[in-house]
Amino acid sequence: MGSIVQVTDLVKRFGDFTAVDGVSFSIEEGEVFGLLGPNGAGKTTTISTISCLLSPDGGDVVVSGHSVHGATMAVKRELGVVPQEIALYPTLSAGENLAFWGRMYGLSGAALKSAVNEALVLAGLEDRSKERVEKYSGGMKRRINIAAGVLHHPKVLLMDEPTVGIDPQSRNHILQTVKDLNASGMTVLYTSHYMEEVEFLCDRIAIMDHGKIIAMGTLNELREVVGGMDVVDVKVESVSDSVLECVRAIPGVKQVDRTDSALQVLTPGSGAVLGKLVATLESEGSHVTSITVTEPNLESVFLHLTGKSLRD
Amino acid sequence: MRTLFTIAGKDARILVRDRTALLVMLAMPLALIFILGSALGSIGQGDSLDIDVAIVNQDAGDTGQRFVDGLTGSKEIDALFNIEVSDDADAVRTAVEKGDLTAALIIPSDLTEKITAGEPVGLEVLQDPGSKIAGGIWAGVVRAGVSSASAQIIAVQTLQEELAAAGAGAQPSAPQGAAPEMPPMTFDAVAVREIEAQVDKRISMISYYSAGMTGMFLLFGSMFGAFSFVKERREQTLARMLSTPASKLAIVGGKAIGVLMIGAGQFAVLLIGTQMLFGVDWGQNIGATILVGAAEAIAAAGLAMTLAALGKSERAIGGIAPAAIMLFAATGGSMVPTEQLPKFLLPVQVVSPVYWTVNGFLDVMRGASVADVLPGAGAVLAIGAVLFAFGVWRLRFE
Ligand SMILES: Nc1ncnc2c1ncn2[C@@H]1O[C@H](COP(=O)(O)OP(=O)(O)OP(=O)(O)O)[C@@H](O)[C@H]1O
Ligand SMILES: [Mg+2]
Repeated sequence: MGSIVQVTDLVKRFGDFTAVDGVSFSIEEGEVFGLLGPNGAGKTTTISTISCLLSPDGGDVVVSGHSVHGATMAVKRELGVVPQEIALYPTLSAGENLAFWGRMYGLSGAALKSAVNEALVLAGLEDRSKERVEKYSGGMKRRINIAAGVLHHPKVLLMDEPTVGIDPQSRNHILQTVKDLNASGMTVLYTSHYMEEVEFLCDRIAIMDHGKIIAMGTLNELREVVGGMDVVDVKVESVSDSVLECVRAIPGVKQVDRTDSALQVLTPGSGAVLGKLVATLESEGSHVTSITVTEPNLESVFLHLTGKSLRD
Repeated sequence: MRTLFTIAGKDARILVRDRTALLVMLAMPLALIFILGSALGSIGQGDSLDIDVAIVNQDAGDTGQRFVDGLTGSKEIDALFNIEVSDDADAVRTAVEKGDLTAALIIPSDLTEKITAGEPVGLEVLQDPGSKIAGGIWAGVVRAGVSSASAQIIAVQTLQEELAAAGAGAQPSAPQGAAPEMPPMTFDAVAVREIEAQVDKRISMISYYSAGMTGMFLLFGSMFGAFSFVKERREQTLARMLSTPASKLAIVGGKAIGVLMIGAGQFAVLLIGTQMLFGVDWGQNIGATILVGAAEAIAAAGLAMTLAALGKSERAIGGIAPAAIMLFAATGGSMVPTEQLPKFLLPVQVVSPVYWTVNGFLDVMRGASVADVLPGAGAVLAIGAVLFAFGVWRLRFE
């Protein structure tokens, strides 16, 4: 077991704007590696440099020993790519689309035919394979979009937000598919801004923001970043500076972050502080409209590290 | 190589499912050929068509003159024809050969003599095969004249109580009213003799526009090829192709071959369609016709790349492409024969693939060989190569 993808000090600029700013990580053979980050973090840009669509302005990407500097064809042959956008031909059927992408990866004849059938089964669309893709639902398109990236059995699968904008049923199907593919030996780089997906799927996770990796490790390692603390989200009508001071003074409160009309409180035990917290806010004139308690997760990790929420 | 044809085949398949594309590439040219070809080239209703014909009467007797008077005296005939009465049979034959005259009638010197002797007689009707319709009308008119003349003659002969005529019954015989026991007097002739007009073989309007519109619309494949490229770029299938082990050149080449394949299919449909629907005669040398058409389909593939490089969106390309093609077509002879266009357009013409293509088609219709159209096809290929190179140079992939 060694690392099959090695990203080192990767830099990618668009004009003056640095979209990927010195990113390094490595993916071990057989793992699902998660790249989590909000919109514009640089996830797609990172994936595009790995798949040789963009050439790096600095650093290197090595896949199975082949560098994207020079050996792009060798790199591409190792990869399957599931793009963020649904990149299919709407007026071709699912079967025709899959056959086309299979041929593009060099499959032909009986091998192509069985790969297409297998991919249709994977997408759960074997009985609708003759229908044009444009007639499919969003979720079905997503599934074919994924199937088209894996039918040639790549060593490494790059998935860029494969569940964006779909119903829960299709989403579960897709997450299960990723698990199955990984179980069959495929190494997966999974990109998302849904922390639940990344928590469910990934062995290791890198959290990305503004072109940089701000934390990396297993889920448990990342939870340690917030000290395994509970997150208490309090929605209030208004937050004044004095309120903030009073809340910080409550025993058991470790950290308080504020947005316009909300407070986020980190505490080792929420049970001990909730009553005091509500009382303090009410007495200071900040009327509480709702309150939620969350066990530590990637959302709280992200919040802790960046002071903002993963989702806008 | 396999990748090229994978991409080309995919593009062709997508295009065949695109109704708009089929409409523009097949239905429009056929409709325009029909409209232009019939509005200007076929027979109007009673208006003077001024088909140029000549009559040469060499008859020593007076039957010939009566025949001529019959033809020239008729209002209906006068509306259709511009009849010139001439003495010089050879000059008239030459004029038909040259295409200066559409048709002619030559009456032999022994007409009266033979009729009197009861022998079959022959009239010589000449027509330019390039103007079959007009020539056919002339032959019909002469036949009708013969028919009525023979009825008159029979009447005269019945009075004279004489004569039997031999000869296989040619044209119309005596009217029903004539004495049934009398064998009808027949002209053996009005054997229409087609003269192979060599110098300026006239091409019918429908044939002309078949060449013109095919030369123009074969270029439209380029527009759809460029659409396809821009669409693939926008919808990310281009990026997806680039993430497969296919080189940029293979992708561009595949898309170019796709345009070429589409053009080949379109050309086949237009060639067979005009032949079957309008009876267009594309000439004797199908190999030469195919060479001319294939060269332009290749040029269309090159033009597709230039269009894809110049136009950033389908809208932009949808504006540039028809304008460019119209310009090529108008200067290239798709609408008006190039001889009738002013000379200062020549610099535009030589860079217009339509110009070489339309003239190539017309030349083959007039009897040109592969060798004759080779230089024109070469010019089209050269234009296509320049357009392809420019397009590939300026093409943006993301
Ligand atoms: N081709 C480009 N030209 C200019 N800027 C770009 C280009 N592609 C991406 N960017 C910018 O780079 C930054 C990172 O974009 P990227 O698409 O990698 O983010 P992402 O993490 O994939 O976001 P999302 O979750 O929205 O997909 C963004 O600010 C984006 O606007
Ligand atoms: Mg993205």
